[in-house]
Amino acid sequence: MKPPRFRYLRAESVDGALRALADNPDSRPLAGGQSLIAMMNLRLVRPACLVDINRVAGLGYIREDGDGVAIGALTRHNDVKHSDLVRARCPLLTEAYESIAHHTVRNRGTLGGNLCHADPSSETPAVMVAVGATLVLQSVGGRREVAAEDFFQGPYETAARQDELLVEIRLPGRGAEGWAFAEVSNRHGDFAIAVIATTLRLADGRCEAARVVASAVGEHAARLRPAEDALTGGAIDDAAIERAAEAAAGAVDPHSDSHADAVYRRDAVAALTRRTLRRAAERCG
Amino acid sequence: MSERGHIPESRQREKPRADLKWIGKSMKRVEDPRLLVGKGVYTDDVNLPEMAHAAVLRSPHAHARIVSIDVSKAAALPGVLCVMTGADAAAVCDPLPTWASPPVLQPAIAHERVRHVGEAVAAVAAEDRYIAEDACELIEVEYAPLPPVVDPEEALASTGDAVLHPDRGDTNIALERKLTFGPVEEDFAAADLVIERRFRWPRSGGQPLETVGAVASYDEGSGRFTIQCNTSMYNYCGWMIADTLRVAPHKLNIVPTLAGGSFGSKMFVHKVPIIAAALARAAGQPVKFMEDRIDNTTSCDNHASDRVYYAKLALKRDGTLLSLKTRIIDDYGAYFQFGVGQHGNALSQCVGPYRINSVEVDLAAVLTNKCQQGAYRGFGSEVANFVIERLVDAAADELGMDRIALRRQNFIQPDQFPYLIPTGNMYDSGNYQAVLDETLKLADVEHWRAKQAEARAEGRHIGIGIATCQERSVFSATEFWMWNLEPGVEWTSSPDGVSVKIDPTGKAFVTLHSPFWGNSPETVAAQVLAEQLTIDPADIEITYSDTDQGLNSTGPGGSRFTVMVTGAIVGAAGKIREKLLRIAAHLMEADVRDLALEDGAVHVKGVPDMKMSIAELADKAHYYRLSMPDDLDLTSGLDATYVYDHPVTTLPDADERHMGIFYPIMGHSCHIPVVEVDIETGQVHFLHYAAVHDCGTMVNPMTLEGHIRGGTVNGIGTALFEEFRYDEAGQLTTALWTDYLIPTIKESPADIVVGHVETPSPFTEYGVKGGGEGGRMGGPPAIAAAIEDALKPLGVTIDSLPLLPSRLRALIREAQAKQA
Repeated sequence: MKPPRFRYLRAESVDGALRALADNPDSRPLAGGQSLIAMMNLRLVRPACLVDINRVAGLGYIREDGDGVAIGALTRHNDVKHSDLVRARCPLLTEAYESIAHHTVRNRGTLGGNLCHADPSSETPAVMVAVGATLVLQSVGGRREVAAEDFFQGPYETAARQDELLVEIRLPGRGAEGWAFAEVSNRHGDFAIAVIATTLRLADGRCEAARVVASAVGEHAARLRPAEDALTGGAIDDAAIERAAEAAAGAVDPHSDSHADAVYRRDAVAALTRRTLRRAAERCG
Repeated sequence: MSERGHIPESRQREKPRADLKWIGKSMKRVEDPRLLVGKGVYTDDVNLPEMAHAAVLRSPHAHARIVSIDVSKAAALPGVLCVMTGADAAAVCDPLPTWASPPVLQPAIAHERVRHVGEAVAAVAAEDRYIAEDACELIEVEYAPLPPVVDPEEALASTGDAVLHPDRGDTNIALERKLTFGPVEEDFAAADLVIERRFRWPRSGGQPLETVGAVASYDEGSGRFTIQCNTSMYNYCGWMIADTLRVAPHKLNIVPTLAGGSFGSKMFVHKVPIIAAALARAAGQPVKFMEDRIDNTTSCDNHASDRVYYAKLALKRDGTLLSLKTRIIDDYGAYFQFGVGQHGNALSQCVGPYRINSVEVDLAAVLTNKCQQGAYRGFGSEVANFVIERLVDAAADELGMDRIALRRQNFIQPDQFPYLIPTGNMYDSGNYQAVLDETLKLADVEHWRAKQAEARAEGRHIGIGIATCQERSVFSATEFWMWNLEPGVEWTSSPDGVSVKIDPTGKAFVTLHSPFWGNSPETVAAQVLAEQLTIDPADIEITYSDTDQGLNSTGPGGSRFTVMVTGAIVGAAGKIREKLLRIAAHLMEADVRDLALEDGAVHVKGVPDMKMSIAELADKAHYYRLSMPDDLDLTSGLDATYVYDHPVTTLPDADERHMGIFYPIMGHSCHIPVVEVDIETGQVHFLHYAAVHDCGTMVNPMTLEGHIRGGTVNGIGTALFEEFRYDEAGQLTTALWTDYLIPTIKESPADIVVGHVETPSPFTEYGVKGGGEGGRMGGPPAIAAAIEDALKPLGVTIDSLPLLPSRLRALIREAQAKQA
């Protein structure tokens, strides 16, 4: 389990990293390396060149951003997990971290790397889509902002071009939104079998906005619009939750693998939708 | 001699007793300090000058002919020293060692045909492992695929191209035999009730952190190999490696490294050291070959039992168990190294702790396109435990009896030991009622029954399971060959040796002849020798011999190490004690009969001032020969070796009415887990877990508890998570640890409450029994029972493992559909 030969470049600055990515068309940024290096060792991916951004100053931070939070792309998972600011302003992400990986992996792995890796069973993309996060991409040509919903495009596929580096993740303020995250996996910390991340906004007891986002049951984290439609405009009662759960299960087309079959995943989507909506409704206001 | 054989006299010298100083003490492990700071030397820590690194090209096919193989590009890659194909290997090596008779030939490197995914097709030695793996990618192999054989029951009917070893005939059945012990038909005819079930036990295996590895070198001057390797049994059958390499046994020295968490999977490592040695000889440089994780999971030669059972239990309406019949199809994978040794093993305790009068076992061992079976914690007996316990649960349910009461009713009674079961094996001693009572106390079953009722009212599903399981220890080699169709390796000795030396300063040295493989060999040796010589364990140094120095030692495996090494040390220490007393008698001018060894000194009984320390006596023994009597027993030095034979074995009956005594040192355990099942997700959570074991006299309660807790989590893995799962094409879909799911602390009970009962063996020194495998032997049936109990309102029956959430959810879904 050794990777094929590759070139290794260590960037000292964002500009340096961007130049290296632009100059080496078959290069990839190396952040925490928790997924990339394992895949290289298995020879599943073979980048000709790695641009190591671990020593780039100024990419690891968590700070206020209006009423939201801005997180530098190189921030380690455990720093995000234990951040009071994140807990206060984006508690859905904090809750999700209870299910994400293991302590040692989180010490090294980064939120930005995790998002760019875009594993279809990853938890963080579902959270980003559910809260409506904005991802800031930068290249030698400039910066652009991409909504999380548009960022995840397929298994291990994102809107980021090869020469672009994710530099910042912006999480909007929560306002009065309710939230909940739930996952099933065979073991704690494993890649998910099914994930549901939910946000709800109520006005006068009626659902003003809902997001029901699934991961691990499709090609990428995605909103389950039929489930959202079943909620919007009405009261969040048992009947609405049941309708949404059924709609969620009907909206996914999961795969079977050694961890779980498709029927199980679909059942799990219904169960998790039910559970997260109940909790999210309780947390509104 | 009865139908079931005879019981020899005990050769026990050291009786169990209360006044022991070191045996029974929770002493910290001698091994730990260096291991915990990373200063132990495992195989991968061995680095020799000029050492090359090997990698193998693995077969991507489950079953195929190798049409052609072109290594020219690989051989031309800079840094590559040697590329070896199956044909090259066959020119310098014989097939790998095997106990099966007739054998199923296994090449070190696949030749002409591949029989499972991951089988080595070529091996490369290069300057580093990176280059070796690059070279593997440059080897061009043309395969002609053959039909993959994956399902064991379908394998029974394989013919033609689906046959893995056509030279053995047009079949994939490696061995098929029916053995009958006692009046099975009469007992079934007398039964009021027959419980019939089909069980499926999943293929899993030991998961060592360090995979199998070897560092081999070949000295052209002397024509000798030296192989450093994380194996066991090297001092039992290490010479077979030399045979395979076609050198005389004294031209090969196997040097053990720390073998780490083997759990059986490194019991007799052959393929890896042979590939390393063959490459080293060809390359003219030392070669290190470490399996990577995929090599290990796909080709470690040590996958475990993979069985289908059609089981029948005959009983009376009053609950009296009568007879057990099983038809077993066991999926052995592509080769057959131990034959059906795992079924020899299972015969040792297949009736559990119960009085069952007769047994029939109808076994078909089939060959399929999977990694072959080998050893793993339980070695086949854990499956027999699962089967008998599930049957007893089913019988209780069918009779409307309490599962615990039915067990109690059928237990072998304390006054019936030693007890011969129908297969001929002996249960040396036991007190199953006491173990059950202690577990019930620790489990607080009444409390959990109340919780269960409350939970059910809320629509939650809590269940309480019980298993009362045998925990056989100290195997005899007869288990490996008793089922064989033709005479082959039919060894009847399975001893363990030890060398003990007291140096001139009074320090003690123990040389063990089997390896460290994750257990506590040094701690055991230190405690027992300290007890025997009344010295401090801190004054004892433990080392491991290589095969050049080795005494016949079967090694750890089958929970035998503690019993066997205790026996060997008692033997060796006895010789040293005798010499100490003779020297002391001379020097103190006393009669030997008036002397006693106490607190590290020989005393004249009743005369407090008359004593000489072991250090003083050792100095005399080493340097003052001319001051001693001219007695041939007093030659210079103070050392002894002792090879301790199996404490009680008898041979199989020539007519196979019984198989003799082969696994007699019988521990027992009771496990009571309490689980909650989330019926929407199929997830299982442990609310409580109590396990009580009777492993005879405990040498070290702390390390025993480690075995029990670790073994129980191991059993949770088997019950809920772990499986080597092959798809229809014969691809191993769980070859990586992301997919082969080993339970972590998060999947384990918050605490496993452990209790002990001590029923000493009348046959072993101090009454010690083995306890290395019991957790995994008791956990799976207990957990299955707990889950079944939790889902009782739905009527779910558990007869296959592992119960991954998706599998359990499917059972729940079916049950719900049936109820609706």
